[in-house]
Amino acid sequence: MTHWLQWQLFWRSFFLQTGWNFAKYQNLGLAFVMTPFLKTVYKQKKDLPSVLERYLEGFNTQPMMASFCFGALARQEERMAKAKTLAEYRERLSEWNSLKRSLSITTASLGDRLFWGTLKPFTLLLALFIWLALNINFFEPVPQQTLAPMEVFGACIVAFLAFNAVALFVKWKGISLGYDAPNNGCFGLTQFDWNKTIYNTKLFGMLLAMGLLLGGLYYFLHDLELFLGLKFITRAIIVLFFVSISLMTRDLRIPNMYLYMAAMLIFNIVYLF
Amino acid sequence: MTQILLICIVGALLELDTTYAFQFTLSRGIIAGPLLSLITGDLMTGLQIGIFTELIFIDISPLGGLLPPSGAVCCTLTLALCSVGLPPYFAFFFGVIGAVLFSVCEVLVRKSRSGWLMRQEPLILQRPPYLSFVVVKALGISFIMTLAYLLFYSAVMGSSLARLLPFIPEKLHLASKFAYMAVPWIGLATLVSTFRLKTR
Repeated sequence: MTHWLQWQLFWRSFFLQTGWNFAKYQNLGLAFVMTPFLKTVYKQKKDLPSVLERYLEGFNTQPMMASFCFGALARQEERMAKAKTLAEYRERLSEWNSLKRSLSITTASLGDRLFWGTLKPFTLLLALFIWLALNINFFEPVPQQTLAPMEVFGACIVAFLAFNAVALFVKWKGISLGYDAPNNGCFGLTQFDWNKTIYNTKLFGMLLAMGLLLGGLYYFLHDLELFLGLKFITRAIIVLFFVSISLMTRDLRIPNMYLYMAAMLIFNIVYLF
Repeated sequence: MTQILLICIVGALLELDTTYAFQFTLSRGIIAGPLLSLITGDLMTGLQIGIFTELIFIDISPLGGLLPPSGAVCCTLTLALCSVGLPPYFAFFFGVIGAVLFSVCEVLVRKSRSGWLMRQEPLILQRPPYLSFVVVKALGISFIMTLAYLLFYSAVMGSSLARLLPFIPEKLHLASKFAYMAVPWIGLATLVSTFRLKTR
């Protein structure tokens, strides 16, 4: 695959989820991404519609990891185009179908764990740490601080770059790895130790999260004028109560927003009566 | 009014980043909040709302077909409501509700898009270059629908809450402040369990 073609697939991959629907998921996006490649394989215009029809069937995966699917599907498409007999074509078509199904499930599972389950919360932690280090008090209910744009956007840029450096690398590299991988190479997926990466990031993330919780607690309570006064005790109770409730409700899978809404409702009822 | 319109336009553009285009995470709370606050001029409120939005929705990921409430929509609605004079602790509550309602609407939109795409497929197969046009059209429709929702919600909620605000007793302000104060702690505790190690 030429660099120009890889670039076209990469650029178009940003629109994989345009047209996401419940019947065929990312089908429109997949057809859109793969069109430049299909045009190079099938030079005659009359061939393209029947090929596109296959790409407009159901497809769903994690958008950053989808590049592995693009590469692998491109390689298989080339093999299909080179089939010499109808039987050979049918056999490769069946391989193409099972490849599309199985690889999309695998990449979705890996991508969800890596990007949504690990990297996104991790970059949030990084940004929060920077803001706390810059003495930005985001815990107060009515914020009174005046901030310089650099103080605010510095951490945003760090979080943005940290997430996108990994996401764009995987998106770009996945296309060539999926395309070039040997048959026993799991379409390039084995080039990275995903589990180790996720494990190490989670370990570091857990330490950071605990550090942030303690740091936040210190920041929230340390400058109150009267230690063990009413204001201090009220705040400490709120923090302890909600941290414990949040930790306890994790296993019950109650979303945070419902906890907040319940708190809003209960506090308002208690204060009113 | 111009400020609300601007917030909603930028919010609808950022919302496209959630699913339909790019996924650069510009739509996540900690980026969308500060970006939108450049319009209101109150960076601190925008930053806080962005952080709170991200923390409150951090435990819901877009896995499979699941649609978590949008961070960009929550920040947009909250800041739009703040700009009509609502304090952040009230505005955020209605912003969260607005984001939850938006994800319900989004499910309906995606269901109806299935039918629309089925009708477009024969046209694409007849004339393959039409595919790019369908992609642009899908993006445009998503943007317009999001913008319409943001404007409608901001206008209805903004005007009714602004009228109600003088009649809200001080006790309710205090209670809402306490609930609002709990958000970062609920979120930070969730972060600890998000990184719980299960497997290597």
